[in-house]
Amino acid sequence: MSPKLSRARGGRLELSLTAEERDLLRSLPDQLRTLYEAGPDDSDPVRGRLFPRAYLDPTAENAEREWRDLVHPELVRDRLASLDQLLTALDAERDARRGGVVIPLDDESSGALLSVLNDARLALGTQLGVTEDLDYDSVTPDDPRAPGLGVYGWLTYVQGEIIEALLAGLPD
Amino acid sequence: MTSAPVEVAPVEVAPSEVKGDPALEDATTTDKPWLVIVWNDPVNLMSYVVYVFQKLFGYSREKSTRLMLQVHHDGKAVVSDGNREKAEADVARLHGFGLWATMEHPS
Repeated sequence: MSPKLSRARGGRLELSLTAEERDLLRSLPDQLRTLYEAGPDDSDPVRGRLFPRAYLDPTAENAEREWRDLVHPELVRDRLASLDQLLTALDAERDARRGGVVIPLDDESSGALLSVLNDARLALGTQLGVTEDLDYDSVTPDDPRAPGLGVYGWLTYVQGEIIEALLAGLPD
Repeated sequence: MTSAPVEVAPVEVAPSEVKGDPALEDATTTDKPWLVIVWNDPVNLMSYVVYVFQKLFGYSREKSTRLMLQVHHDGKAVVSDGNREKAEADVARLHGFGLWATMEHPS
């Protein structure tokens, strides 16, 4: 995997994507939108992970429902906004590079990108049953999880790069 | 949590210890604050969790890293506390960043 992040003159972060990588990122919002709009469901592992309970105590159902009614619309609205922001950024830069793109990352666009990357990793990681000691080298090409893990690994790499850069900009 | 590409030890922790009747109404009238807890999960990056603690709570790098490591090693950590309204708001903000957070009241 090649370095994707660089700093333009003036210090602004830029994310460079090939056409293939752009298409992969471009496909995430539609999948996440479906999950967001389906809403919380504790019996569904993916949606349960994207929208966890606040009250662990199962007897606190009333409090849980009140909390959910209060915060859920905003949680969904913010996440949908991130999807739209990322799509706008990907499409705006599309023609400059014969299918590839360079996305400028300011506070707003990096926040949107992080939101999409992290939720896509949560959804995919939950579906694939990813564990903390995931060893990519042990995944053989004929493993049915190989394509998904390939995407997961790439998303993880890109998110890690962005986080390192953003952490460097925060105070100690 | 995980870190890519460095390997980390698996910590599988399920929040299985559930208390009985929380007596929520009583809880709101006591002086004890509600605790906001972040649980370990296999997906979130260690660096991302530090970033979220700094960004969301304004904690120092040192404090954010210490809390992240506590989540990673112990399976969970108390990351903030306050009255019920504040705890509910903090949990929602943590969920907005994809962290697995819950709240509870010490009885």
